[in-house]
Amino acid sequence: MKARILVVDDDEALAEMIGIVLRNDGFEPVFCADGAKALDIFRSSRPDLVLLDLMLPGVDGIEVCRQVRAESDVPIVMLTAKSDTSDVVRGLESGADDYVPKPFKPAELVARVRARLRPGDQKAPETLKIADITIDVAGHTVSRGGERISLTPLEFDLLVALARKPWQVFTRELLLEQVWGYRHAADTRLVNVHVQRLRSKIEQDPEAPEVVLTVRGVGYKAGA
Amino acid sequence: MERPAEPLGGPHRQEHHNVPEHTDARTAGLRRLSFQAGIWRRRAVIVSLRVARLVRTGIRRFLPALRYIIRAVQTRWRRSLQFRTVLTTLLLAITSFAVVGAYLSNQIANNLFQERLTQAESETRYNVKQVQDTFDGAQVTDQSSVITLVYDTLNAVEGRGSVIQRRYVFEAMPEQTKPRNRWVESRASDQLTVSVIPPELRKAVQESGKDQYWASTVIPVGTEDRPGIAVGNKVTFNGTVYELYLIYDLNTAQQTLNEIQSVLWAGGAVLVLMIGAIAWYVTRNVVSPVSHAAMVSEKLAAGQLQERMVVRGEDEVARLGASFNHMAASLQEQITQLATLSQMQQRFVSDVSHELRTPLTTVRMAAEVLYDARDDFDPINKRSAELLYNQVERFQSLLSDLLEISRFDAGVAMLDAEPEDILQVVAHVIEGAAPVAAEYGSQIILSAPAGAVVAEMDARRIDRILRNLILNAVEHGEGRPVTVTVAASQTAVGIAVRDHGIGMTPAEAARVFDRFWRADPARARTTGGSGLGLSIAMEDTKLHNGWLQAWGKRGSGANFRLTLPLRQGEEIDKSPVQLEPEDITIPGGTDNRNMLVLEAGTPLAPASASKETP
Repeated sequence: MKARILVVDDDEALAEMIGIVLRNDGFEPVFCADGAKALDIFRSSRPDLVLLDLMLPGVDGIEVCRQVRAESDVPIVMLTAKSDTSDVVRGLESGADDYVPKPFKPAELVARVRARLRPGDQKAPETLKIADITIDVAGHTVSRGGERISLTPLEFDLLVALARKPWQVFTRELLLEQVWGYRHAADTRLVNVHVQRLRSKIEQDPEAPEVVLTVRGVGYKAGA
Repeated sequence: MERPAEPLGGPHRQEHHNVPEHTDARTAGLRRLSFQAGIWRRRAVIVSLRVARLVRTGIRRFLPALRYIIRAVQTRWRRSLQFRTVLTTLLLAITSFAVVGAYLSNQIANNLFQERLTQAESETRYNVKQVQDTFDGAQVTDQSSVITLVYDTLNAVEGRGSVIQRRYVFEAMPEQTKPRNRWVESRASDQLTVSVIPPELRKAVQESGKDQYWASTVIPVGTEDRPGIAVGNKVTFNGTVYELYLIYDLNTAQQTLNEIQSVLWAGGAVLVLMIGAIAWYVTRNVVSPVSHAAMVSEKLAAGQLQERMVVRGEDEVARLGASFNHMAASLQEQITQLATLSQMQQRFVSDVSHELRTPLTTVRMAAEVLYDARDDFDPINKRSAELLYNQVERFQSLLSDLLEISRFDAGVAMLDAEPEDILQVVAHVIEGAAPVAAEYGSQIILSAPAGAVVAEMDARRIDRILRNLILNAVEHGEGRPVTVTVAASQTAVGIAVRDHGIGMTPAEAARVFDRFWRADPARARTTGGSGLGLSIAMEDTKLHNGWLQAWGKRGSGANFRLTLPLRQGEEIDKSPVQLEPEDITIPGGTDNRNMLVLEAGTPLAPASASKETP
């Protein structure tokens, strides 16, 4: 079955071009040129992934991202023309899993899309524990003391990657490779923002984390 | 008057008293002396001795404290206009009061003395005449009567009542034949002897006829020495010539003078204090607006642009305040304007960025689709697709470099520094550059310390700087090895990227970070690049408060050195690696360069591990 991808971009030429590339690689693109209609189209088309331009007329990309994230865990990849820290971080904080800076190569875009659609291939029954958190890998659930914590697939992958090797300190680059699927160096801010978001959901006190620990100058590791 | 005779030269009452020597008064002779001069001189000697001793012991004991005080005063003198003015005013006031006071006190002393002297002279004239008249009219012949007469006459000179009005010294002139009935040799008032009379006065009296002379002297009264005037003349009795000196006590005058002086000094001290206070108040009035202005301008300089001076009245200070405020307002306006301009530029850059990038993305994707399908095209279309693809690529890198540099110009580039291991970044960049190096047929040799070198840095930017330096070195290295040397000190980390290509002259090395600058315009086009890479690297380095320097020599290659502080906010004082390569001092042609390369590979830092990347 073809994965359906919602492309939210007001630039019709670019949207069309993205459509060509995606179709070429066996995806089924759905288009939306208006931020205000994005949520409706999202609901009706039920895509497997959303490609979202940050700058949209009407409702902007960040708002769309927030609306989508509010009702779905579907992967969101942002298309950004700005690589300014604040915009990228704002987009990531509003719920996007990854971003592709313009101008991008078709292969780059496809790789990002594939990386986000990949999760779900390792579903062996497995239960992991970090601190007081229990992770059911096959059931894709995370709980503390029987109470379920809702995570996006990306956050889940990040937590599982750390939990599988609690003895290892993960550099940001390693996490980018394992969780995001980057083969070459990418923006380590992705890791920082998502660790922060993950912490805000699973830590009892995000200011004094116990589940995902920072190793200064190196990266992150799972708490004991 | 009959009096029982007393033996001649009988015991003199005054002999029991040890009369001090009054050398000072005597040497003054007949010249009119300030009567307190001797006392003052003695006091001055004592005081100066004490001061000298105090200074000697004080210097030893209180030298550090003294130095501290002197330094504190010097600092105040340098830094406070008010302190300087008040101190100067006080010193000038003290000096002028001392001069005026001394003059006044001298004048008063003189007047008091003159008055007393005139009185003393007329009283003496009268009394000497009285004595002479009494002696002339005396009808006594026996010894005791003569003695009684002389003593009574002399005692009468002292005056009536309990207060002695004048004292006397009565002495037979020396060197005259002694008459038969001369029973009186000398006589003086209580506590006095003839030694209180200055010799010059005696000489003058003895040598003259019947003239009256005077001199200043010091007389013992009770236990103290008092200033006095001695006035002398001659009297004759029974054919014997006697010197008669009448001595007048100046104590009352001295006390009056002392009182006047103390009033004078007290008044002077109060006046000096008042002048000091006035000077302090006046300078404060003038200086406080100035220091207020200084304070306000410091605040303005610190960026508090809305800071203004308080303006009161219409005087010069108010004008200063008003023009200062005017200046501040126009400064604020200009700065705000500049800030707005900068914001506008920033907006513009951001907008251009977005507007350009979106169509460029479409073009690029389309070019790539065409490029991927080029094998299906005829040769003309195929070549066109290739050219389109390559030039779009180039266009894109130029655009992104331009946007990057305008972000620096707009001042919106932010340092996102975190402590990270710089060796990992270096290794990563070398790994990324390896395919390009292989293409050029050159090796990248890394010489770095073992372990980690953690520095606070924006890894994305450092990655960009190093990639730029290393790719540059590979491109200009003419296939010879490129050496990357990393060394760290306590405060800084240095990374040197050395190539052994055609090199550049020092003049070229100085311009290498200029925008769009190319050493050889004809050659550079083939190697590509936007011409902004090193400028961006320089901006990234500046953002880290680091150094980026280039060294070059024609035919000896080039060396680029990046130095970063380990902690942001600290200054670098010395780079841990050398900018001018050590191997350069060995002379040699093109043939032995490979040997030199091997030497360049030896680590400069102690405890280092070499790692080779093909």
